[in-house]
Amino acid sequence: MMSFGWSLVETTAQLLEGDRREAVLGDLLEAGESAWQALLGILSLVLRLNFAEWKSWRPWLAAFGVSLPASLLLMGVSLSVSQGAQRLISPGLDATALPLLFCQTLLLIGWAWSGGYVVGRVSQRTVWMSAVAACSPCLFCLARFHVLSLSRFCLLLFLPPAIWGVRQGLRRTRIRLSSMILFTLSLMLLMAASWNSGGQRWWTPRSLVLDATLIWPACYLVALAWRENHNKWQLGQEKATI
Amino acid sequence: MLGEFEYLVITAAAGLADKAYGAAIREEIEATTRRKCSIGALYTTIDRLETKGLLTTWMGEATTQRGGRSKRMVKVTAKGVQAAKSFYDAVLRVSRGASWATERKGTVS
Repeated sequence: MMSFGWSLVETTAQLLEGDRREAVLGDLLEAGESAWQALLGILSLVLRLNFAEWKSWRPWLAAFGVSLPASLLLMGVSLSVSQGAQRLISPGLDATALPLLFCQTLLLIGWAWSGGYVVGRVSQRTVWMSAVAACSPCLFCLARFHVLSLSRFCLLLFLPPAIWGVRQGLRRTRIRLSSMILFTLSLMLLMAASWNSGGQRWWTPRSLVLDATLIWPACYLVALAWRENHNKWQLGQEKATI
Repeated sequence: MLGEFEYLVITAAAGLADKAYGAAIREEIEATTRRKCSIGALYTTIDRLETKGLLTTWMGEATTQRGGRSKRMVKVTAKGVQAAKSFYDAVLRVSRGASWATERKGTVS
C-alpha cells in the first residue's frame, strides 16, 4: 500500500507532463529516495521548468500581450453588451439598437475566443500566469463596479468564449486556413458595422490601438494556420521526392 | 560551448551507451563527481540538450524496480559528441601550465 508521503509525491507529480512524470517517478523509486526527498526533487524540477519557460518570448506575449490588455478591453465590451441588452428588454423598446447589440455580441465571442486560443497555444506550461494576468484587472474592476441596474458579473461575459478558446489552444485543436481567414474577415466586417451603427470614429489613434489589440490574435491565428499548411505542404513535397 | 553540467550529462550518457537513462546518468554523475545531482537539474539539462540537438530521448521499458514505470532513454547524437569533444579540448588547452595539470604529466597534452 502506498504511504501518505508517496501519495503526496504522486499528486505533486501531476504538475509534470505524462511521459516526464512517468520517467521521473520511476527514477526516484529506482534510486530508493525517501518520499520527502522525492517531493523536493519534483518541486525543484517543476520550478526549474517554469523558470526555463520564461526565457522565451512566448509566455510574456501570452500573459502581457494578450491576457492582460484583452481582459481589460473585453470587460468594457461585456459591459456594453449587457447595457445594450438591458435597453432592449426595458419598456419603450429601441429596435435600432438591435443590430449594434448583435454585432457587439458576435465581436465579443470572436475576440474572446481568438485571444483565449492564442494564450493556450502560445504558452501551454505558463497558462496559469496568463490566467493571473487576466484575473487581476477583472478583480480590480469587479471591486469598483457601481452600476445599480446591472450585476457586476456582467463584466465577465467574455469569460466563457475565452475559456473555450484556451481549452482548444491547449489541446492544439487544428485550425484551417480558410476558416481562419473567413473568421478574421468577419470580425473586421463586424467591427466596421459596429462603428457605423454606433456612430464612432474608428480612425482616432485611441480607437485604432484598441481595435488592433483585440483583432491581432485573430490575425496571428491566420498566420499560424498558414504556417501549418505550408509545413504540411513541404512535408508532402519531401515525401514525394523520397 | 557546453556548460560544465551539460558536459557531465553528455559524457555520462555516452559512457553508459544503450543503458543511458535518467537514474543511471544521475548515479554515474554522483559517483564520479562525488556531488549530489538533483533530478530537477538533470531533467532540465536533458531537455535543453535535446532542444539543441545534442541528445535524443525516447521512452523505454518499464521494470518492477521502478514501480512499473518507463525509463526515459538517452542517446548522444553526433553533434553532441562533437560538442563534448570541443569542450574537452578547450579544458585541456586552458589547463596547460596550471600546476594541478602539470603535476599529472602524461595525462594532459
